[in-house]
Amino acid sequence: MNNTLLVSPAPHHHSSNSTKSLMRDVVIALIPAVFVSVVFYGWKELLVLGVSVASCVALEYLITRFLLKRPSTIGDWSAVITGILLALNLPVSTPWWVVFIGAIVAIGVAKMTFGGIGQNLFNPALVGRVFLLISFPTYMTNWTHPSSIAGAWGFASADAVTGATSLGAVKEGLMTGAGLQDIAAYADFSYLDRLFIGMGGSMGELSAIAILFGFGYLLARKVIRPYITLSILATVVVFSGIFWLVDPSQYTDPLFNILTGGMLLGSVFMATDYVTSPMSSMGGVIFGVGIGIITMLIRYFGAYPEGMSFAILLMNAVVPLINRFCHTKKYGRA
Amino acid sequence: MTQTIIWTIAIITGLGIILAVVLYLVAKKFKVEEDPRIDEVEKVMPGANCGGCGFAGCRAFAQSCVEAPNLDNNYCPVGGNEVMKKVAAVLGMEVKEKTPMVAVVRCNGTCANRPKTNEYGGYQSCRVKAQLYTGDTGCAYGCLGCGDCVSVCQFGALSMDPETGLPVVDEEKCTACGACVKACPHNIIELRNKGRRNMRVYVSCVNHDKGGVAKKACKAACIGCGLCAKTCPFGAITVENNVAYIDYEKCRMCKKCVAVCPTGAIHAVNFPVPKVAPEKPAAEKPAVEKPVAEKPAAPAAAPKAPVIDAAMEAKLAAMDPEKAEKVRKALLAKAAKAAEADKPSAAPAKEETPEAAKPAEEKKVEPAAPAAETKKE
Amino acid sequence: MAQHLGAPATPIVAAGDKVKVGQVIAEPAGFISAFVHSSVSGTVRKIAPRKDLAGREVMHIEIEVEGDEWMEGIDLSDTLVTAIPEDNKAILDKIKANGVVGLGGATFPTHVKLCPPPGKKADCLILNGAECEPYLTSDYRIMLERSKEIIIGAAIMKQVLGGCPAVIGIEENKPEAIRKMNEALAELQAGCKGYDGITVQVLKKKYPQGGEKQLIDAVMKRQVKSMGLPIDVGAVVQNVATSLAVYEAVQKNKPLITNVLTVTGNTLPVDKQHNYLFRIGIPLSYIAEVAGGVPEDAAKIISGGPMMGKAIANLDATTVKGSSSLLYFTREKTERGVESACIRCGKCSEACPMGLEPFLLQKYARNGMFDELEENAVQDCIECGCCLYSCPANIPLLDIIRIAKGDVIKIIRSRAPRK
Repeated sequence: MNNTLLVSPAPHHHSSNSTKSLMRDVVIALIPAVFVSVVFYGWKELLVLGVSVASCVALEYLITRFLLKRPSTIGDWSAVITGILLALNLPVSTPWWVVFIGAIVAIGVAKMTFGGIGQNLFNPALVGRVFLLISFPTYMTNWTHPSSIAGAWGFASADAVTGATSLGAVKEGLMTGAGLQDIAAYADFSYLDRLFIGMGGSMGELSAIAILFGFGYLLARKVIRPYITLSILATVVVFSGIFWLVDPSQYTDPLFNILTGGMLLGSVFMATDYVTSPMSSMGGVIFGVGIGIITMLIRYFGAYPEGMSFAILLMNAVVPLINRFCHTKKYGRA
Repeated sequence: MTQTIIWTIAIITGLGIILAVVLYLVAKKFKVEEDPRIDEVEKVMPGANCGGCGFAGCRAFAQSCVEAPNLDNNYCPVGGNEVMKKVAAVLGMEVKEKTPMVAVVRCNGTCANRPKTNEYGGYQSCRVKAQLYTGDTGCAYGCLGCGDCVSVCQFGALSMDPETGLPVVDEEKCTACGACVKACPHNIIELRNKGRRNMRVYVSCVNHDKGGVAKKACKAACIGCGLCAKTCPFGAITVENNVAYIDYEKCRMCKKCVAVCPTGAIHAVNFPVPKVAPEKPAAEKPAVEKPVAEKPAAPAAAPKAPVIDAAMEAKLAAMDPEKAEKVRKALLAKAAKAAEADKPSAAPAKEETPEAAKPAEEKKVEPAAPAAETKKE
Repeated sequence: MAQHLGAPATPIVAAGDKVKVGQVIAEPAGFISAFVHSSVSGTVRKIAPRKDLAGREVMHIEIEVEGDEWMEGIDLSDTLVTAIPEDNKAILDKIKANGVVGLGGATFPTHVKLCPPPGKKADCLILNGAECEPYLTSDYRIMLERSKEIIIGAAIMKQVLGGCPAVIGIEENKPEAIRKMNEALAELQAGCKGYDGITVQVLKKKYPQGGEKQLIDAVMKRQVKSMGLPIDVGAVVQNVATSLAVYEAVQKNKPLITNVLTVTGNTLPVDKQHNYLFRIGIPLSYIAEVAGGVPEDAAKIISGGPMMGKAIANLDATTVKGSSSLLYFTREKTERGVESACIRCGKCSEACPMGLEPFLLQKYARNGMFDELEENAVQDCIECGCCLYSCPANIPLLDIIRIAKGDVIKIIRSRAPRK
């Protein structure tokens, strides 16, 4: 025996999980969505993404280091995720300083004031996004349709079209009293397109397939459990299905609702955020159903065309309550 | 315009009045009758809610004071006699004075005195560590060093000394609430008499091992030789389970035991240097502390503190020759006694050491080597 | 002398006495206590406190070894005794007299477990061959080599318990052991009486499958109530090694003086990872020496499994009846990470086999909220270590919960008599 022996209480082994490795897995799962949006939106997308991630990480470092005087937590990748999610939630045309303000709200207000990682009540990226949506509605609703890849990268003439998202188009159309059929005539509703590369919208809302890839990866790596995501999607399908069957001319169909807007991005990456979601699977289902219903209520009856962010934030606020009442099933207790 | 202002003022005033009436009625209706003296007593309490008195907090203590026929069983260790006098004044009762106490850490197993035998890698809590095993040094009784006492102290009176790995009590801040005493799984911390001008003599060790074993584990351990007990003119020292204990009620602080202790386990703190004290900081911790600090450098062969060390020499020089001679003689006489006493204490130690070193080989060594049954696949 | 759970035994020999192998050297000192036998022959050198695995002082009897002389009446031959004695009382006496205790870890005296309290009946005897802790292979080894003896032991215990069915639970990752046990069972059932109603059940590979409560759930589909005992749901669980000890005690009159111990770990080359049959009481350092010495890069030595075993500070301690392994691990493998903030991922409660919520319990425990702890069943924790294993933030969940569990159980116990 050459050295002093280590003594510690059992267990003496530890899984390879760490906060860092879990968060890194989330980043990896986000890569397909980021890749698609970068390819189709081009340089501008890279700028928004870069500003967002860099400012989130820098802010977290500065706040932990100089305001809280604690060891910095940027090593755990959570600020990177916040940065990417914030960027994916913004239109590509957002000016860099707006992105920066979003990062300040996300990290500074939504995360660090609550005590940093593990303590925040609301999803930081969503708080940042909603703050921007309310404060800078003009920038935040200026959706650019991807025209051609070459155009996005500056090889062809910039012929990007600025306009509303399909959800926005539907909302506007219904406001003016038009039926869905009429709207469909001028807004492109191709599901196939949307599945691969959708229409305009936030950068991360481009491709359903890319997000589903990420979902698959997270499930395979056992980073998240499927309860929350699936219960959101199921609720949306059931809820919109009922309305659609009742009046197809006024209410959009279930598939449309799942594939448009931030539905997939939100349900896969934002609602499943560890810190701001319930801990038990039962709680997860309640949480998901709540998000689904609120989203559809806003989409059908609210003033905004999209309600995913609001729904997640509202349900975030209920999480402590859900955690209080949803406990795991204990062994030996009927 | 004017009308709007008038209306605004009128409505707000009206609302204010109505709400005030409602609040008044509610307060009246739901008022809980309580002895008003409880509030008064609580006002004079320190308000730390530390639980040192044995009650759930200052209010509970106040309530019990009000209800009790006398104050003999109630004592606020934090506020001490002053607060108790105030409480007595409020209630019109008598109060017995109690001597103020202070927490004393009875372990001197510094990193240098007590070499580590292994490394602890679990949750930094003395309780967790104590449940697991006896600690990461050879001493099974000493300070575990995870600072449970520091975290329970509500007065910031305890801190871990990073150099020694032991907790240090800030006597100014310590209120003797006893939280640390309860928190320490090895019962190292004891509430002791604060003593006149904060002077205290105590055994800084709780090791129950036999002399040799204890000494091997920690250079500053009490080896239970009993010299101090023999020396003490007041019968204040008892040796039980191989460790000496000084009864602070009986101790008159003559410091004779300090001088005879072969390992420097008996500490005397806050004693002024005899007569002239030219340099104040040095006066705080005289002869006793010094040898302890020097110990690690000196080999274990010199168990006894040098009788007249350099610092003392300097002080003697500063005195007038006649007095210096007296002090010197007194010190040398002590040393001679100590040397004499050292012999009996050294002998048992010798007997024990080989015993302690060997047992591993002696234990039931099996004749036929346990045959390897089979290989793992 | 603390060879087992419950009251330590009282020595009945004195320094200078000559003892033989298998001679009783200490008597039980209470109901839940057991005999201790000398595992060697020689002279008692002294009876004095020595440090145990945790460094606490415990009475030890030191014997100077001289020769290898056995007590009379111990059958040392290899012949298999398959006929089961009929007198249940005699069987129990033999189990008790030969100092058999549970070898699954808790070392609960076996004869106590085999006498269900009045009013309760055993519906099923479960033999625990799950050995779910990683690295350990001692039970696996004896299932391969002493399969028949284990089954005979099971048949004996089954008879004592009033003929309830017996199930031998083995994890699915040990196909060899399952095959061997089934073969031995078929052979015995064909040749002799008294072996009906014994079956081998394949269990899912999952830690902690070998936990008593988990095993009962897996085999009988019954769950033991909080603070309850297995017998409450009619189950008696015994380790396969205990079954072997029962066989030897009853059929061969051999006291429990040997056990099998795995020496392994990630620092040890595969050709040095062995199982050893050892005589109970020899120092760990001796075993380590026989097994080829402690590897240079061993940073932690564990007695027991890596999930629930005890890290030891040195090898001075002696083996006890329940010693089952000596594991060497490198620093990288075993050192804990730095604790960081809880990210509320819920992995701990996902991992908890008892369905507890460790994140909640540790929060309550840190704040001394005992009522909430009890409400959330901290007392049901089996200390398997799954929560700490799975926590990505390296929160020392189990360390904190273990302490709180002790406190809460104390509170519950202190309250019980008043009700």
